[in-house]
Amino acid sequence: MAESSVKDITSTFRRNLHIDGIGLITCPAARYNRSPIVLVENKLGVESWCVRFLLPYVHNKLLSTRKQWLNRDEPTDITCTLLLLSPDFTTAWNVRKELILSGTLNPIKDLHLGKLVLTKFPKSPETWIHRRWVLQQLIQETSLPSFVTKGNLGTIPTERTLWLIQEEMKVCGEAAGRYPSNYNAWSHRIWVLQHVAKLDVKILLDELSSTQHWASLLVSDHSGFHCRQFLLKSLISQTVIDSSVLEQNPLRSKPALLLPKDEEAAASTEEPRINLPHLLEEAEFSTDLVISCGMLSTSSIIYMVGFLTPWGTLSDLHLIPAGPQLSQAMNKQGHSQETNAGSGPSSRLLGLGVERRCTDQVLPTSRDAGPASQ
Amino acid sequence: MKLYSLSVLYKGDPKVVLLKAAYDVSSFSFFQRSSVQEFMTFTSQLIVERSAKGTRSSVKEQEYLCHVYVRNDSLAGVAIADNEYPSRVAFTLLEKVLDEFSNQVDKMDWPVGSPATIRYTALDGHLSRYQNPREADPISKVQAELDETKIILHNTMESLLERGEKLDDLVSKSEVLGTQSKAFYKTARKQNSCCAIM
Repeated sequence: MAESSVKDITSTFRRNLHIDGIGLITCPAARYNRSPIVLVENKLGVESWCVRFLLPYVHNKLLSTRKQWLNRDEPTDITCTLLLLSPDFTTAWNVRKELILSGTLNPIKDLHLGKLVLTKFPKSPETWIHRRWVLQQLIQETSLPSFVTKGNLGTIPTERTLWLIQEEMKVCGEAAGRYPSNYNAWSHRIWVLQHVAKLDVKILLDELSSTQHWASLLVSDHSGFHCRQFLLKSLISQTVIDSSVLEQNPLRSKPALLLPKDEEAAASTEEPRINLPHLLEEAEFSTDLVISCGMLSTSSIIYMVGFLTPWGTLSDLHLIPAGPQLSQAMNKQGHSQETNAGSGPSSRLLGLGVERRCTDQVLPTSRDAGPASQ
Repeated sequence: MKLYSLSVLYKGDPKVVLLKAAYDVSSFSFFQRSSVQEFMTFTSQLIVERSAKGTRSSVKEQEYLCHVYVRNDSLAGVAIADNEYPSRVAFTLLEKVLDEFSNQVDKMDWPVGSPATIRYTALDGHLSRYQNPREADPISKVQAELDETKIILHNTMESLLERGEKLDDLVSKSEVLGTQSKAFYKTARKQNSCCAIM
């Protein structure tokens, strides 16, 4: 029975190239003589009653015949079934590494399996770790470069690299949506941006705008904000803050922020850059989140403060300390523990000039706060 | 933050009647969606049954919050959301929906209605628009005169039940839940610890 289930799974994959999700169907008992493998709307389901038999079978098969397979496809099929049921079984992923290195298994197919596994196990650490190994293999292939030089603008990613990056962003995004504050998914996203995208500025800017929607819906997703923090830090360290904007500001006491890594690139008007208005926009966005959610998301405040203060620029723009009023409002909503960490820096944040809007809107909100505040 | 379901019910005596419902189960694993939907219906009905007329409450169950508003004329609305969704917006939404519903659907149809017979189509639109509360309800409208001190907060579903009543019994006797959903409930209850396979 177990053997036929493995065959069923393999043939289902072969016949249906559009499978985009897997799942377990709660089914305590076998019905009639039907196969436990079900395909509905491009989703592969395994009935729960068969797992008891199927999993030990594939597990034993993998370990006992590891050195001598009956045919070329057997290890691929066995590991595939095994990983769909139990993705953190490292040995199975390692067998697949061996298959990739020997050329038997196409790395893109392997990435596809990982993507399916993540639809059911969005956190699975071994899946993410293996995925990074495969991506590393793909970008190290010396016959195909992942970046090409383009005129005097430095290097840009090739189409294939772009495709890989886009795929990874999609996978990370979906996994982040399936599990709250999915640190594994978000840190994988950061890894891809560092090692596959090589911190390309245009890609980072695109990422910043595409995660904005996410951030507004997943307000307490700390890992998501950590990723945005990384994006902003990378962008700041790579481009110049528009010095003309800074000069107009009479409060500026420090010299222009960070050095351009590539002076030619900075001079070129085509080069995307981040500048002061961008940062203010980001600050407004976070404050917006803080106000409109009616509940104060510590992560969004601390995130903004965490990345702004080390750079020193914006604390110079600190004007009226409207902080105390916001802190009061925060305490009223019962977030006293969290705000002890946030109240000091948040006053500097408010000094950006959005404090009036904050107090106008946060204070009336806090008055309506529930019994906890009274 | 997420809004999972929005339903309009009638608190009849003794039975609660579901009039119309909208669901968003897209974030759940594909094969669990129908069970999740059935459970949301079951939960909405149970909560309205155990809430008094003219009250607003929020019932917490794991990472979900069920907001319910039962009007004095027995029309009730339930919004099931996650922990992040601002409760004030949920209650404003419920108020708006019930208002609209009572204007569009004749009062006589309430005690005997069902989702198939009731003609009210705006629920799906409201559910999808209100997924992002900031777009749906700008700050000024959200600060409606809602006296939040009067919202009853229950920490679990169990606190709605009477002494001696068990949720397990209610689940197994329910007509709303199919056999697969009941089996799903049983296995989920049994496995409190993290099990890699399931």
